[in-house]
Amino acid sequence: MKWLELVTVAGATLVAAVTVVVLYSLGVRLTAIAADSRQASPGVKKSFAYICFGLCGFAVLFGLYLIIPYFSG
Amino acid sequence: MVALVIALALFFDFTNGFHDTANAMATPIATGAIKPKSAVTLAAILNLVGAFLSTEVAKTVSGGIIREGSDGIQITPDIIFAGLMGAILWNMITWLKGLPSSSSHALFGGLIGAAVAGIGFHSIKLEGLLQKVILPAIFAPLIAGIVAYICTRLAYALTSRHDPETGSKLTQKRGGFRTGQIFTSSLVALAHGTNDAQKTMGIITLVLIAAGTQDPGSGPEFWVIAACAFAIAIGTYAGGWRIIRTMGAGLTEVKPAQGFAAETSTASAILASSHLGFALSTTQVASGSVIGSGMGRKGTSVRWSMVGKIALGWLFTLPAAGLVGALTALLVKTGTVGVLIAAIAGTAAVLFMFFYSRKSAVGHHNAIEVEEAGQAVKFRKKKGLARARAKARAQEKNLAPESSRTGLGTPDAEAAASADADTSKETQR
Repeated sequence: MKWLELVTVAGATLVAAVTVVVLYSLGVRLTAIAADSRQASPGVKKSFAYICFGLCGFAVLFGLYLIIPYFSG
Repeated sequence: MVALVIALALFFDFTNGFHDTANAMATPIATGAIKPKSAVTLAAILNLVGAFLSTEVAKTVSGGIIREGSDGIQITPDIIFAGLMGAILWNMITWLKGLPSSSSHALFGGLIGAAVAGIGFHSIKLEGLLQKVILPAIFAPLIAGIVAYICTRLAYALTSRHDPETGSKLTQKRGGFRTGQIFTSSLVALAHGTNDAQKTMGIITLVLIAAGTQDPGSGPEFWVIAACAFAIAIGTYAGGWRIIRTMGAGLTEVKPAQGFAAETSTASAILASSHLGFALSTTQVASGSVIGSGMGRKGTSVRWSMVGKIALGWLFTLPAAGLVGALTALLVKTGTVGVLIAAIAGTAAVLFMFFYSRKSAVGHHNAIEVEEAGQAVKFRKKKGLARARAKARAQEKNLAPESSRTGLGTPDAEAAASADADTSKETQR
């Protein structure tokens, strides 16, 4: 029985999903903070938010890389 | 026979497409991230592209469940024909009931039934069956559900904001998760195209090789690839709206953050499983994710009765598809007349289910009602329709014994469910 593979798949799923969700949530939170009326430096928060979304974009690109057999063999 | 099997394989591809639209697109439709029509169009295009991307033929049709090849038995077009018949009929029945169920497991079931009836029990690898179907069916929803639960909890914890002085809620902008949903669900749709269209290509190529029109060991011909790609794309575009309704609104209500967490878990689980060697069914992963994310958000209830129906549907997938496969295999054994009878009976059954579904059509216009401005997903309160469905269910009990236990919720339950939704909406605000 392939228990090791099962555990690997479960672990990889957990790590990947949690990473993306945490990054995206941080992005959403930072956008919300930047939109507050009393906010000292909305620009910085906004750019941090965009960095978070950008990292999620990389995760999506990595997903594409895995899906398309031309790249991942 | 060859032409018949190819036609049947393409039709299976079609049902596969429309059965699995829900996996990718149910939650974005439910949260209003994408309009229903655009969602199925997007999924169809991605499936089309995905089918062209990956054209490597699978080595075995059954993926190691049936002893194939030189040391085992030869999979004949007859067995494939019978197996496809079982898979298609089961796909149609589950679609009619709005149950998400794995198309590949239906195909396995049909092939197993056909092989047992056509050849005998020794043709089945029990270990392969356990490893490829039964264990994944338990672990796929479990893994996806737990991951989705954790992700939903995290997403809500990270985005919840309160004023430190007054304790009142600040803007949270959780609608922003909708944009993310589009990307994650697109990944799921693309992955589906690369995996599932390939199965049909493999079947058709195998039949062509068996018929001697193609050299053994060669890849699928271009027309096969194109036909499979379009069959799955058209199926996806047709959209299994009944299943979309179950996945998007029947299990739990889905809000953007929740939907994003569920879709991310689904995408991660599918990609991980297809690259790390433990195959999981997309449908089962997606259902597990939706259930897990429903448990993760406060103020949401998961409709466990619906979960039970789906689980029961999964339990019946192998035996039901296998039974149809076995019956068809027995018919086919009797000769050309048997094949004709099987083909006509199958077509009649499919047509009957199609026209039967027309009685209470579920389409993009009424699959899930989404409040465009708000966050809430509302349930339809068309009692008349629910009553018509209840009557239909009562009739169907005579046709399919297992359906008596897998029937959809009663009108009362639906009304209670929508009341539930309203109260939880209030707690959310």
